[in-house]
Amino acid sequence: MKAKNFFDQSRLTHLLFLAYLAGAVIAFKLVDIQFISHSRYTKAAEKNRTQILYQTAPRGRILASGGELLAANQTAFSLYYLPAFEESSPDYIETYAEDVSNFLGSDKQAILKLLKKANKTGKAVALAQNISPKKAFSFAELQNYYTGLYLLEGTKRYYPYGAFASHLLGYMGTMDNKFWSLRGGSADYRLNSKIGKSGIEKRYEKELKGRDGGLLLEVDYMGRVKKKIKDNKWRAGSDIYTTINYEVQKAAEEGIENSITGRGAVVALNPKNGAVLAMVSAPDFDPNIFMPFSDEENKNAKKSISEYNLAIQGLYPPASTFKTITGIAGLETGRLDLKEETTCSGKIIMNNREFKCWGTHGEHIDFFKGMEQSCDVYFYELGLKVGASHIEKIQRMFRFGKQTGIDLPGEKSGNVYGPSKRAKNKTYWFGGDTLNLSIGQGELLLTPIQMAVFAATLANKGKIWRPYYIEKIVNANGKTVFEAKPDLLQSVELKEGVFDIISKALKRVVDNATGRGARVEGIEVHGKTGTAQNPHGDDHGWFMAFANRPGEEPDFAVAVFVEFGKGGGSAAAPIARKVIKAYYGIE
Amino acid sequence: MLNKLYTSEQTIKRRKIDYIILFAVSVLAVFGFFTVLSAVSGLSYGTDVVRTHIIALPVAAGAFLFGWLFNYQIYNEQYKTLYGLILALLAAVLVFGIVSRGSNSWFRLGFISLQPAEICRIATILIGSSFLIRNYQNIKEVKTLILFALLILPIFGLIMLQPDFSSIVVTAPALLLLLYAAGVNIFYFIVLLAFGLSAALFPILWTYISLHPEAVENSIFFYVIGQLSSNWLYIGGLCCLITVLGFFILYLLKQFRLYIAPFFVLAVCGVIMAGFFSGLFVNKQMKTYQRKRVEAFLAPDSDPKGAGYNVLQAQIAMGSGGVLGKGLFSGTQSRLGFVPERHTDFILAVLGEETGLLGTLFVLALYIILLWRTAYIATLSSDRYGYLVCCGIFGIFFVYMIFNFGMLIGIFPVAGIPLPFISYGGSNLVASMWAFGIVESVYRRRLTIN
Repeated sequence: MKAKNFFDQSRLTHLLFLAYLAGAVIAFKLVDIQFISHSRYTKAAEKNRTQILYQTAPRGRILASGGELLAANQTAFSLYYLPAFEESSPDYIETYAEDVSNFLGSDKQAILKLLKKANKTGKAVALAQNISPKKAFSFAELQNYYTGLYLLEGTKRYYPYGAFASHLLGYMGTMDNKFWSLRGGSADYRLNSKIGKSGIEKRYEKELKGRDGGLLLEVDYMGRVKKKIKDNKWRAGSDIYTTINYEVQKAAEEGIENSITGRGAVVALNPKNGAVLAMVSAPDFDPNIFMPFSDEENKNAKKSISEYNLAIQGLYPPASTFKTITGIAGLETGRLDLKEETTCSGKIIMNNREFKCWGTHGEHIDFFKGMEQSCDVYFYELGLKVGASHIEKIQRMFRFGKQTGIDLPGEKSGNVYGPSKRAKNKTYWFGGDTLNLSIGQGELLLTPIQMAVFAATLANKGKIWRPYYIEKIVNANGKTVFEAKPDLLQSVELKEGVFDIISKALKRVVDNATGRGARVEGIEVHGKTGTAQNPHGDDHGWFMAFANRPGEEPDFAVAVFVEFGKGGGSAAAPIARKVIKAYYGIE
Repeated sequence: MLNKLYTSEQTIKRRKIDYIILFAVSVLAVFGFFTVLSAVSGLSYGTDVVRTHIIALPVAAGAFLFGWLFNYQIYNEQYKTLYGLILALLAAVLVFGIVSRGSNSWFRLGFISLQPAEICRIATILIGSSFLIRNYQNIKEVKTLILFALLILPIFGLIMLQPDFSSIVVTAPALLLLLYAAGVNIFYFIVLLAFGLSAALFPILWTYISLHPEAVENSIFFYVIGQLSSNWLYIGGLCCLITVLGFFILYLLKQFRLYIAPFFVLAVCGVIMAGFFSGLFVNKQMKTYQRKRVEAFLAPDSDPKGAGYNVLQAQIAMGSGGVLGKGLFSGTQSRLGFVPERHTDFILAVLGEETGLLGTLFVLALYIILLWRTAYIATLSSDRYGYLVCCGIFGIFFVYMIFNFGMLIGIFPVAGIPLPFISYGGSNLVASMWAFGIVESVYRRRLTIN
């Protein structure tokens, strides 16, 4: 077209060309952002608008055999901070942290750190967990002032009876590095998740845990919740039904607590199948101190507890209770004549060394008298007659020196004492060792649970059951996912009548002599005391027993150990009496 | 509609309005209306915005009609009156205006606010064009340029007093384009461009150096430049150096028997120094938020929650929209407030998120069509004035387009520049419609005046 005006139109053509070029560059960049990089930006947009809050599933409950709740859950709230996307002034964050920490009663700097972290990463953080419902109620006030606060309902572990069976139940705590590296990847474990740290809580973590729920929220740039996009409900963990008899456990705990030292262990078993009816280890602890409400004042939270489970980890010489083994060895070899009598002058001389009896029992001491009085002289002589290797053999028949196989971590196996053991260690066996062995002193070591299994084996005439404490596990749908099957580890085959003689002797111990402290009217109690010499302090007291109603098979076996209790008859037997009475429901 | 495309040349010659521009601005305005509606849904003051926009739309249509029907040559004849009117308006806003968002640039009339700077932008083009055609014979002389600058300076000065930085950012480059189209001597144009660029680039360079001190350590050149912003000794040294260098070049040229007027060398040295001092001035005047914007532009990822946040969130919005978009009123980035200034400067992000690549390319295409048509109508113009006015309007919308789109795609710093027709802003909409009404007026009178 011919120009009507007098301008150089090529200049305008340049500019138009420039505009086309700019348009092309812009179009290219738009295609890059909106088409090529679309998925990357979509992810970023989704990350902006959504926040995931996890809801810890209620842990499975732990119940006693009578249905008593030993570990349950309480409603507890978590306070989340949903970050704001626009940079807020440092002053605002300061006052935010101050007010929130005042409300929670927690450290301001820690809250400030969490707020800054959330603002930096854009991900919600839990400012506080385990807030009591009472405290959460007053929370609305704070929410009016500050955006981005969100209160989420959840549960926390709660132990209604406090320290009850604490060593068996265990306690909850934060994850260690090892656990995190194993399970951290799964959706159910996050950095602030609590896990079982000992006992049943640890051993059955997988069953108790359940599946955590998640709340997918849509939030705006200020961290205000707009709506719930998705609400994945949690699935509660499985309930664990234990074999623990609440009354027996309670009686045993009270017994140990009221003993002269308050330290010791009690293990009670059902001799018919090995079910653990009570397992006490003192000193104990209150597992609730690890899971307090955030606003609860907690004086005990010094968090150093005795995790040492004396019942399965404490090793002590069985002392006079071992005389039962020496007696069985005598009967089994035929070298024990029940009519033979001896005289106790309070000591015996061997190889120019004096071996003392704990008393002077005089003339006419036969096997039953020897058991009743726990006369050391009688058993020194019996031991010499039977021979140390036979006694060692009987120990091994009763699985001394082996773990009982209870499903708890850290069980000790004890120590067998005898000539072959010495030979294995390439040292010599002396005559004096035989004397020490026959009364259960020396290098022989047993755990309280081994003692209880021994008592149960005597009660059921030779069946060694593996002790177990889980009756069944029932999942959230009510389906039984595990049921205990009694596990017979070994049968002790002895000559006809040996168990009856031993039972008779043990009954006479309780009825007439050293075990009188364990007598219960109307119940046949069979038991043996033991006083373990302790070079470091007071002697330890043992009592092992089994019991039955008259005319019935024995259905209760118990081992009581009182650390520094001075004597088995004085310290341990009365506790056994309380426990037996509790089991049979005798006031 | 369709059969009109096939009408005879005779009809086209008699046509009084360019349908393509009419179509483009109408579609853009409708598009803009719905985008604003979507962008402000959920905002506490959303209803106010929509109400104002609904009032502005017919006013803008009236402005378009006025621009079209009114003979554009009257602006030329009365350019002194126009000039006085504009200065009076800008002065009045300083006295009677209200302060909003840190700048005193609004008249408040009842429930409507007016921003005179928007009208002034078009008026400046009208006045500038008038001046240039009056000095058409001397267009290639430096005297014309100086007079032109003196003419514009009071307008810019009053705008800077408000202060309305973004208005200058759009108008100044548009005036440069106008000068280029008017046929200014290419050498002077380059000098002007160099001056403008050095005034803009020095502050950016200093900000860059403050962000990357390690770059300075490794280079004496950068070190010296970095020191220049603060050390008068270095400034004096630089001036001497440039002068000495200038005379040395002059001497060299003489040796090779290339005779160039010393004036040119002096002009180059002078421009570099003037640009540098202007840069120094701009650098000192820059407010913290403006410096932060420059920082965010230079290093957008260094602090995604800080100043770079705006652009990043806008890009996330556009990118997540994909090709087809999330649907009108369904953009999460905009609706949940992640995109800042979502109904004004960053409205393109809302558009991109909700209507996708198709929407953004469509708006871009409409802008290109407007520019092409405006340039075409300029060539149809029956007089120089119409030609230059079209060139100036072309320049303004060209600058709007590259600055607003460029800001979103990350090739320009954030300068608070809206996207006309799409962004919320009644004054801007009215002024833009008036501008294209003037273009239509040039079209309408392409044959009648000679």
